[in-house]
Amino acid sequence: MEASNGEPRIGVFICRCGFNIGGVVDVHAVAEYAKNLPHVVFAEEGLYTCSSAGLDSIKKQIEKLRLNRVIVASCTPATHESLFQKTCEEAGLNKYLFEMANIREHCSWVHMHLPAEATEKAKDLIRMAAAKASYLEPQTETELDITPSALVIGGGISGITAAVSLARQCFQVHLVEKEAELGGMLKHLYKLQPTEREAAEILREAISAVEANSDIHLHTSTSVSQVSGFIGNFNVTLQSNGSSQTEQIKVGTIIVATGADEFRPTGLYGYKENQNVITQLDLEQLLRNGNLKKPEKVVMIQCVGARERTGRTYCSRICCQVALNNAFQLKKLYPDTDVAVLFRDLQTYGENEHFYKEARDNFVNFIRYDSSRPPKVSTGSDGKLLVTVYDTYLHAEIELETDLVVLSTPLVQHEDGRKLASVLKVPLGADGFFFEVHPKLRPVEFASEGIYVCGAAHGPKDVVESIAQAYAAASKASIPMAAGKIKAGAVKASVNEDMCVNCDACVVSCVFNAIEASPFGLPRIIEANCKGCGVCAAECPMGAMQLKQFKDDQIVAAIEALFKPGEHREAEGGFKPVILCFACQWCSYAAADLAGVSRIQYPPNVRILRVPCSGRVDVLHVLKAFQRGADGVVITGCLIGDCHYIDGNVKAKERIDVVKKSMGSLGIDPRRLEIGFASSSEGQKFATMMTDFVKQIERLGPSPSRPKPRSEKLVQNRGQT
Amino acid sequence: MKSLYRIEAKRSLAPHINLFDFSAREVADKTKPGQFVILRIDDDGERIPLTIANVDAEKGRIAVACHEVGKTTTQLGRLKEGDSVLDLLGPLGKPARIEKFGTVLCVGGGVMTAPLHFQVKAFREAGNNVIGIVGATTKDHLIFLDEMGKTCNELYVATDDGTEGYKGIDFLKDLLKEKKIDRVVAEGPILMMKAVSDLTRQHGIPTVVDLIPIMVDGMGMCGACRVTVGGKMLFACVDGLEFDGHQVDFDELLARLKMYTPQEKLAYVFWEEGERLG
Repeated sequence: MEASNGEPRIGVFICRCGFNIGGVVDVHAVAEYAKNLPHVVFAEEGLYTCSSAGLDSIKKQIEKLRLNRVIVASCTPATHESLFQKTCEEAGLNKYLFEMANIREHCSWVHMHLPAEATEKAKDLIRMAAAKASYLEPQTETELDITPSALVIGGGISGITAAVSLARQCFQVHLVEKEAELGGMLKHLYKLQPTEREAAEILREAISAVEANSDIHLHTSTSVSQVSGFIGNFNVTLQSNGSSQTEQIKVGTIIVATGADEFRPTGLYGYKENQNVITQLDLEQLLRNGNLKKPEKVVMIQCVGARERTGRTYCSRICCQVALNNAFQLKKLYPDTDVAVLFRDLQTYGENEHFYKEARDNFVNFIRYDSSRPPKVSTGSDGKLLVTVYDTYLHAEIELETDLVVLSTPLVQHEDGRKLASVLKVPLGADGFFFEVHPKLRPVEFASEGIYVCGAAHGPKDVVESIAQAYAAASKASIPMAAGKIKAGAVKASVNEDMCVNCDACVVSCVFNAIEASPFGLPRIIEANCKGCGVCAAECPMGAMQLKQFKDDQIVAAIEALFKPGEHREAEGGFKPVILCFACQWCSYAAADLAGVSRIQYPPNVRILRVPCSGRVDVLHVLKAFQRGADGVVITGCLIGDCHYIDGNVKAKERIDVVKKSMGSLGIDPRRLEIGFASSSEGQKFATMMTDFVKQIERLGPSPSRPKPRSEKLVQNRGQT
Repeated sequence: MKSLYRIEAKRSLAPHINLFDFSAREVADKTKPGQFVILRIDDDGERIPLTIANVDAEKGRIAVACHEVGKTTTQLGRLKEGDSVLDLLGPLGKPARIEKFGTVLCVGGGVMTAPLHFQVKAFREAGNNVIGIVGATTKDHLIFLDEMGKTCNELYVATDDGTEGYKGIDFLKDLLKEKKIDRVVAEGPILMMKAVSDLTRQHGIPTVVDLIPIMVDGMGMCGACRVTVGGKMLFACVDGLEFDGHQVDFDELLARLKMYTPQEKLAYVFWEEGERLG
């Protein structure tokens, strides 16, 4: 902690990276330049700073010169930042007092034919890093204990599978089921494909696995009424059905496995009006219980209440298989019963295609209808049902007399699921199902750490898929519980209570439930939930909310350092714009790195400043850059929809749009400010974005707010907005 | 020549919270508790609504308390005694319903404790027994403790962090069980008013809250201050500020208040930077 006290003593280690940097940038000149920067007491060049000799030199100088800040100017922090931080810690320097300047991917590799400009840029990047480093503070990382027990909500096949999987790993599991017995949807199903095993048999095995395991604490006829806390330390209130009796439990992780309901199509095709119009689930139960009287003719209608234009727009995925299976079972029971399936599109993917063929071979009749002309069901005078359908293959209307109409309806979220979403403060998608944080990278997790989802609660799934997802969720949940602790990085929000005006803007802005509002307005940060995006800091009107390591003073210092006061940048050779680029540490920074790795050349006017998320970029930062003389400012983030903090980039865009509208009043052309998005694989796009922006700024000419000699007054017509 | 409204007295109540006495004879003559003014500092100024915290009919003055939360309020906070603002439009809004109810619980949070005190005085004069609660985020931000202490029959103090009095608002649960309360008035942060209303709903105690959303003209023309109460759209400026707390859609109100956060921040940063550079 001592290191931060007193005057900063910065050591700068500049890497040649063999020929990679040294072949373009005049590293020697840069090192000599760095020696004269404020607070820099040591600067040296090295062949490979990441080599053991390079690391030894860092340690030696920290000890010898009592360095309290270290900067390595080399490659992207993505590769070696943690190595350098570890080296600092070995020499007794807090790792949060380390800063990097990326002079390879963002400089020598993208300006390979412009050694003079690359050298100037390297100096700028180091000057910015040194300015920011002066404001860095040591941080302590906290370790959180994880209670080695899990709450599994929902006792269907998904919940049972997850619970048993966790209990077998010796974690305590509380399995909560709202009904009196375990089983969920499986209780109502008959024979499951592809093996034709009876659902009842599978369920029996699953339930006995629960009963045999003393680490599973079963709570039936119970619901979850309240949840507070965070990963490792959730406090859960369980409520017994129909009584006010509650029980408090403490768990480390939570798995949502609440399943789904079959949509009840009241009012459609005579359902509830004619007792011979039933759903697939009704049919399955009749088959299961042996109560199905032989029908001569059966008509099944697919996509009832699903794939609609509005409302339930989604495909429920499993209904085609369910219809095929039930048709198949029906045919087995009563081979001479006629079965017709009216469908819009048959989605029998994978192995299911064989069942489709088999069904056809068994004389199940498939008739395609179009959603614009859905079938009609009417009841004749003899009480028989009559189905009229326009066959889109025959281009003719067909009439089918039938004893039984079976409607294939989608799975839907139930009311209890919606309630649970608000209790857990986790999102539901547009389809009403629980919404994971990222479909590819984190498919069974919510943004709130320690909460996972599996099975039909997450969307329509068959038993096989539900079981697989339950194992995935259990496996994810076991990671923190097995570790027993999680180390929380120190890049967290912190609030200066004296500056806070209790407006709750931070509370509203946080998508991770990391800022709790108190009744009189004091925001309380739940560090375990904070992901370190800094959106709250950018939204705070007063600068009371800050993000450690990316505080306003640290970012502003870097910005101000880029534009040295009074420096007149008009060099011979005409206008050379100076452009500041804020890049989020995930996709867009990586895209810039990739441009470097791919040696895609772009103009050397852009200086990249790393921020955790484009949503961290504050109005203040943009304004400061222009005040200090930026000819252009560009903010880059992940592609919309791919933000690592859900929607930080969307918030950044909204904010930048507002700033662009107001810039005119400062006499600055709004085209000098842009926001762009790139994925980490879009190196070329990043380079093109920068090239185009530089061209745009060149067309606009020098910013009117460029420092005039001897004057820094830039806000010329303030007060006249 | 426009008439200017002079600051006759300025008193710091807490960090960033000031109480101003303005000379405003025409306003003072007509003001009743629960009403507000719209203030504009200068020709380019934003119009901000401020609930009136007191009236000195003799001197023709009104008092308003203001928390520095953005550009205009900070600009106001930097004015000194003797300075003037361009205009004070008011009194606007309907007066609060002041009658003899019996026992009235008045809950004030933060800066809004000051205008609430104006109502507390009126409730006492109307013959009510008044139980007061003064709350704030932290001890240093509690305001009007003395005034409320003198005027109320009983006073409770609460802070979010527990540095003074009760911690949070949960103690109200017990208070509502113990005391027979006929009416509740809550004036303060939205979350506080929501929390109070949620608690009193369980006891069926009539509860009113004073809402002061984003406003522009303050006379029912612009619609900026619309609030949903019992499913109906109302304008805070002409239908309020007082509304049935059990009927207010607080979540919508909170969302609407945040609508211009980027613009507000921009205005503040532009102004602040301008001030700093001189």
